[in-house]
Amino acid sequence: MSPRLHVDFIRRLGNVTLQMRFTLNTEILVLFGPSGAGKTQTLQAIAGLSTPDSGVITLDDTTFFQRIPGKPLINLPARKRRIGYVFQQYALFPHMSALENVMFPLAGRRDARERAMELLERMHLAHLAQRMPHELSGGQQQRVAIARALATEPRVLLFDESFSALDRPIRERLHEEIRALQAERRLIVIYVTHNLDDAFAVGHRLAVVRDGRLEQIGRIDEVFMRPANQWVLNILGIPNAISACVVETGPSGAFLDWNGITLEAPPINAPPGTQVVAYIRPEDIRLIYPDRPLSRTIGNNHLEGIVVEHRLGRHMHHLKVALPDSRQIEAVYPASSYTTMNLTPGESVRLALRKESIVIITGHQEAVRSDASRLDGHPERNPASAPSLPL
Amino acid sequence: MNWPAFWLSVQVTAIASVMILIVGLACAFLLARVRFPLKILVETLIMLPLVLPPSVIGYYLLLAFGRGSPLFEWFHIRILFTWQAAVAASVVVGLPLMVQSSRAALANVDPLLENAARTLGAGEVRIFWRITLPLARRGILAGMILGSARALGEFGATLMVTGNIPGRTQTLPVAIYDAVQAQRYADAHLMVLVMTALAFAGLILARRLEPPTSGRRLEQSAEASA
Repeated sequence: MSPRLHVDFIRRLGNVTLQMRFTLNTEILVLFGPSGAGKTQTLQAIAGLSTPDSGVITLDDTTFFQRIPGKPLINLPARKRRIGYVFQQYALFPHMSALENVMFPLAGRRDARERAMELLERMHLAHLAQRMPHELSGGQQQRVAIARALATEPRVLLFDESFSALDRPIRERLHEEIRALQAERRLIVIYVTHNLDDAFAVGHRLAVVRDGRLEQIGRIDEVFMRPANQWVLNILGIPNAISACVVETGPSGAFLDWNGITLEAPPINAPPGTQVVAYIRPEDIRLIYPDRPLSRTIGNNHLEGIVVEHRLGRHMHHLKVALPDSRQIEAVYPASSYTTMNLTPGESVRLALRKESIVIITGHQEAVRSDASRLDGHPERNPASAPSLPL
Repeated sequence: MNWPAFWLSVQVTAIASVMILIVGLACAFLLARVRFPLKILVETLIMLPLVLPPSVIGYYLLLAFGRGSPLFEWFHIRILFTWQAAVAASVVVGLPLMVQSSRAALANVDPLLENAARTLGAGEVRIFWRITLPLARRGILAGMILGSARALGEFGATLMVTGNIPGRTQTLPVAIYDAVQAQRYADAHLMVLVMTALAFAGLILARRLEPPTSGRRLEQSAEASA
């Protein structure tokens, strides 16, 4: 049977109440959210470094923590939970060599040295075994920390912003390493980050945390495809959020009124007059050549605007277009497309939106919370990347 | 040179140092790691001998160990006017230096490292011996040297509680006082020189033990260069 980590607890922290509930199998879950949202606290509760106010945390048949009315209190100390914890600041013991650090959890075992060497080899560090932590680079230190965490043969491995201080190439190699380790040892991995690139690089599932609660949890691509609400949309940096009114619905599609612009969208289960939040997928926006006939696939949603910004990328180009009423829309297209078009700022341009490019975010009414200022003043993945639309 | 006084001083200082180490470390750990009510009061009490006149400390010791005190009546501790009283005086005056220095050293140990050790299966006792103590050891040693040096030099309170019996309770500092009173200046010179040399060496040693930068700063610089 594959291990299962079940987490369901409440912890009051100052002005935020941490309320976490999820179940993990052997997979990598990315906990994503602004700092102060409670990501680290969640890891600490699982590891036994902090005690929730109530709830249950179990791994298979082992109860780590239990405080529910009518049942005896259980709070297994951290040292007995056998959970690997890799900290952001490496947390190597500075007075011990790399090898001694990895041997620390193996104390009392006769094969401690061999096992520690094996783990260092697995992390490609055997040649640095005798070095002291301050003689190692950040990436090497973190590899030692991973080797050390693996020494207890944990079934759960927690990464707390572990690589955020490292350069991108080193981070990418470590991400590959984590995926390999996870598969090889059938681990449950929770990876905390506030960096979305990291989330994509390591995660199977993504959990978006805000003010101590899960806003959404699901497969990464699904979360990006269907953000649960406006806030998730913004924190994920998805552009082109719009607020529109349902004009007409039918089995083949719906018509939305976006402040005077009529858009044809996929079918929606809401009566006319309903206000909905949606976003337009930037990679599904086509540009219309002024001198060519329209192809049939381009459909009906045609918008006219002025180029505001044209940013070239290695693979994809980005285009920002101003629409009437100071609205803006962002399009992303392959660098090989539209090479003959003049897209310098100030030029007028016509856009076509496929029906499917409009993603309606349901259940937004109760979920929309616009108090971004409460995020401890650290909205790292700032909604600034999403245009501020008249919602 | 008054050799009996010298050897008595060595003996008193050695025993006092051991007691300062044990009691001081316990106090330092308590103050650095444990939150308890009236902490500021306990802290101030331990530090008080740093600023009190030696005669006041001596007077308190006379009260603490004298006839009618709980120590005297219930525990039958009769140490006044013996060399053990000099040990007591030395411990009281040396303790604050030890506590101050080792408390700072313990507080400087990153709790993150202790948490890491917990997740790696280590119990609290093992964490203390393998992580906390080694990382704080320089500050603890420095405090111990300062405390011992202070214990060696203890004069005022010792004079009051030992009665200055030559050959039995007379320590080196007291012997110096005696020599000067009796105008035996040659004796005094030598003993003063010995005391000065010991204090000098102690201070230099303590100074060298004080960490130039804290461990955390070292780690950050490693991070920056990584």
